[in-house]
Amino acid sequence: MGVPWRAVLWRAVGGLIVLWAAATATFFAIRAVPGDPAQAVLGGPGSQAGPEALAQVRAEYGFDQPLWMQYLRTLGRLASGELGTSYSLHRPVAAVIGEQLGGTLLLAVLALLVAWVLALAWLLATTRTRGPWNTLGSGVELVAAALPEFWLAAVLIVVFSSTLHWLPGLSDNTAGGLALPVLALAIPLAGFLAQTMRGSMMDSLTAPYSLSARARGERSTGLRLRHSIRHAAAPGIALSGWAFGYLIGGSVVIETIFARPGLGRTLYNAVTIRDVPLVTGIVLVSAAAYVLVTVLAEIVGGLVDPRPGRAAA
Amino acid sequence: MRVRSTALAAAALGTALLLAGCTSGGGSPSGASSTPVAGGTLRYASGDAEPTCLDPHVGGNYPQALVASQYLEPLVGRDASGAIIPWLATSWTTSPDGLSWDFTLKDGVTFHDGTPFDAAAVRANVLQILDPATKSSTGYLALAKVADVEVVDRLHARFHLSAPDAALLESLSQPWTAMESPAGMARGVDANCLQPYGTGPFEVSEWVHQDHITLTRYDGYASPPADAAHQGPAYLDSILWRFIPDAATRYAALQSGEVDIIDNAQPDTVAQAQQNPSAGIVALQAPRPGASNRIEFNGGQGPFTDQRVREAFIRAVDVDAGVKSLFFGTAPRSYSPLSSVEPDAYSAPDDFPYDPAAAAKLLDEAGWTPGPDGIRVKDGQRLVLRFPVSTNQSIPAEQSLFQQFQASAKQAGFDVQISLLDLSSWYAALAAHEYDLVSAPYTKVGPDVLRILYDTEGITPAPSGYFANLAQVSIPELDQLLSQASATLDPAQRAQLYQQAQKIILDQARILPLYDQQNNFLYRSDVHGVRALATVSTPTFLDAWVSKGS
Repeated sequence: MGVPWRAVLWRAVGGLIVLWAAATATFFAIRAVPGDPAQAVLGGPGSQAGPEALAQVRAEYGFDQPLWMQYLRTLGRLASGELGTSYSLHRPVAAVIGEQLGGTLLLAVLALLVAWVLALAWLLATTRTRGPWNTLGSGVELVAAALPEFWLAAVLIVVFSSTLHWLPGLSDNTAGGLALPVLALAIPLAGFLAQTMRGSMMDSLTAPYSLSARARGERSTGLRLRHSIRHAAAPGIALSGWAFGYLIGGSVVIETIFARPGLGRTLYNAVTIRDVPLVTGIVLVSAAAYVLVTVLAEIVGGLVDPRPGRAAA
Repeated sequence: MRVRSTALAAAALGTALLLAGCTSGGGSPSGASSTPVAGGTLRYASGDAEPTCLDPHVGGNYPQALVASQYLEPLVGRDASGAIIPWLATSWTTSPDGLSWDFTLKDGVTFHDGTPFDAAAVRANVLQILDPATKSSTGYLALAKVADVEVVDRLHARFHLSAPDAALLESLSQPWTAMESPAGMARGVDANCLQPYGTGPFEVSEWVHQDHITLTRYDGYASPPADAAHQGPAYLDSILWRFIPDAATRYAALQSGEVDIIDNAQPDTVAQAQQNPSAGIVALQAPRPGASNRIEFNGGQGPFTDQRVREAFIRAVDVDAGVKSLFFGTAPRSYSPLSSVEPDAYSAPDDFPYDPAAAAKLLDEAGWTPGPDGIRVKDGQRLVLRFPVSTNQSIPAEQSLFQQFQASAKQAGFDVQISLLDLSSWYAALAAHEYDLVSAPYTKVGPDVLRILYDTEGITPAPSGYFANLAQVSIPELDQLLSQASATLDPAQRAQLYQQAQKIILDQARILPLYDQQNNFLYRSDVHGVRALATVSTPTFLDAWVSKGS
C-alpha cells in the first residue's frame, strides 16, 4: 500500500485544529490592533458618521457586547458553516470569496506547476557528480530562493512590459496576462524546490542502483530522468504543501502589484479597514486549502516513493 | 508589513522606469487634430482604493467622489476662479435672514433610469443623506444645517435651514451631496450601492469587484455644467475604470498603452512628463480645495503647548529644500492654511524661514537645554515628539520629506519619533491623542473647512473617536470669527473674516503649511478634453475624446 492512510487521517484531524486556531487567532488579532470595526461598516477609517448611525451599527453588529461573547457568537456561526456578511462590502463573505477564489487558485496552481518544471529542468541540467556544475546550480538556486517577490515583480514589469512591450503588466486570466505574476511567484519557489531536491538527487546518482544502471549502459540523462527524479522528488513533494501556503501568502503582494483580482488583494483591503468577517473568511478558506494540499502531498508522496518511514517527514 | 513592501517596490520600479522611460512613449504630437471625434473607450486607472459602495451618500470618501463624478451631478458647480456656477440648479436666491434658500432647477433632465429630475427628487436626496440608516458621513456633515426641503412646485425647491449657512452652495457642489434617482434610492442602500442612477454623462453598467467598473455613455444626457465645452452627450462610448493600487504598475501600464489615464501619479513621473513633452504623456495637476497639506502642532498637550517650541520647530526644518528635491519641482510651497485654489486663502511666506540659530534661541528661552545626546531636556523630560504618519495618505515622497524633517529637527535638539501606520491604526493613534505633530489632509469645497479644523468644537470627538481639530486650537476670538464668517453671506465681508482667522492661526504658529494637497493625473497625448472639476478636483470626461491612429 503506497498511501499512508494513518498519516493522512492525522493530517485531517490536525487540519480541523488548524482551522479553529486560524479563526481564533484572526478574530483576536484583528480586534487587538488599533482601529474600530464599526468604522468599516460606516465607510472606512476616519468616518465622521453621526451618533445615531454609529449607535445603530454598534447594536446591529453586536460591537457593544463583551469581546468573549462576540467571539463565541462568531465561532458558533462559523461552526455552522456560515461565514457572515462583510462589514465593508455589505455582501455575504461566501459570495465575495466565491467570486475571488478562482483567480487566486489559478495563479497559485500555475505557479506551483511552473516552479516544479523550472526546478526539475534546472536539476537535470546542473546535477553532475563532477565539475563545477553542481556548485553553480546550487548557488543560482539560493539566489532565486532569496528573491523577494515584490522586487522580482517590479523587475519583470520593467523588462517585459515597459521596455520590451512583450507582455502586459496588468494581469488577467489569459496566457499573456498570467505570465509575469506566475513567474514572479514561481522563480523563488523553484529555487526552494530545487535546493531541497538537489541533495537527494546527488545521493541517488551515486547510489548502488544508479551505478548498476550505468553499468547496464544507461545514459546519464535517461538515468536522471528514470531513477533519480523519482527519489529526489520526495522532499520536493513534501515541501509542496508548505509551498502552496507560501503562494497564497504571496498572492497578497502579487495581486496588488499586477492589479489582479483575487483573494490576496481582497484580504489586504479587508485588513486595512478591519473588516473582521471578510478577513476571517479568507483566512479560513486559505487554511482549508493549505490543509487539503498538505494531505494531497502526503498521498502523492506515498505513491511516488513508497519507502516506509518517509511519511513522517 | 505588506504596505512597506509595496512602497519599496514602487520606489525600486520608479527608479528603473526613469531609465526605461526614454525608450517608450512616442505618441503623436498634440494639436494634430482639434475636432472632437466621437466613439471609443477611455481606460482609466485609479490608484485610490476601490469604493465599497458606488453611492457617495453612503460614507463619503474621495475614491467614491472620483468615480461618482462620472455618473452623478450636483446642484451647483464651481468655475476655475472659485465662483459657484449653475449645474442642475439654474439659479438660487436667499431670504434676508439666510434661513431659506430657493433653487430653480434645470428643466428636461432625466435620471439614467428614466425618473425625471425635479424638486421632489432634490428633497428625496437630502432626506436620504440626513437619514442615519444611510450611514452618511461627509454628506451628512455638509448638510448639517439643513432642516428640510420644501417642494414648492416641480422645478422649485426651498431649503429650510436651522441656522444661516454661507457654505451651503459650496457644500452642495460636492460629489457627496450629488443628485440620484429617488426610484434608485428606493431600492434600498445595498442595491443602490451597486448601481446608483444619476444624471451624469456616463452611467454605471457593470462592476466587477477588485477589477473594474464599466461606465457607458448616457445618450439622454441634458445637464452640462455652465463651464462645459459642449452641449449634449459625451463623445466617448465608454470608460473602463480600473483599480491599479501599485503606483509603479499604474505608470508602467500608461507607458505601455494598456491604459490611457492614471490618477495618483508620483512626483518623479509628473516631472518627467513636464520636462519631456515629446514622450507622449501629459500631466494634469489639479490641487484639491479646502485645507493645504500642513503639519499641525498638537497645542493641547506636551511641548507644543508653548508657542516658542512651535516656532522653534518651524525654524529648525528646511521645508523648501526638501520639497524641491523630493517632489522634483511639482509641488509649489504653501504658506497658508487653505489650498491655493481657495480664493480666500491668506498666505504669509515671511512666517516660515529656515533659521536654526533662531530655533536654538527660542528653545533656550523656553527652558529646553541641550542634553548629553544632543536632544534637549527640560525638568528631566526629553524633547520627544510623536509623529504618526499614515502610509495611505502620505505618498513615499512625503514620507521621505518627514524623515528629512526628523533629521534636521534632531540638529536643533528635537527627538522626532515617526511611526508609519496603516489608516485604521493612524486614526486610532489620533483618537488616543498619541501625537505631537501630524499631517492630516482635509478635502472640502470652500474656506468653511477652517471652522471644521480650528473651531474649539472640533476638539470634541465624534462618537467614532474622530476629531478634526488636530492642532487642538481653542481661541475664543478665532471661534467668534469662524462662526461669524459661516453666517455671513456677503462675499467680501466673508473673505475678510476668513483672512483674519487664518492670520491668527499663522501668527500663533499652530501649523506648518507644506504644499497643496497633491492631485496629479497623467494621460496619453491622444486623449483630449480632459479637465478636473474645480469643486473637489475630480476629473470629468464629458468633453473628452480620443484621437485615432496614434
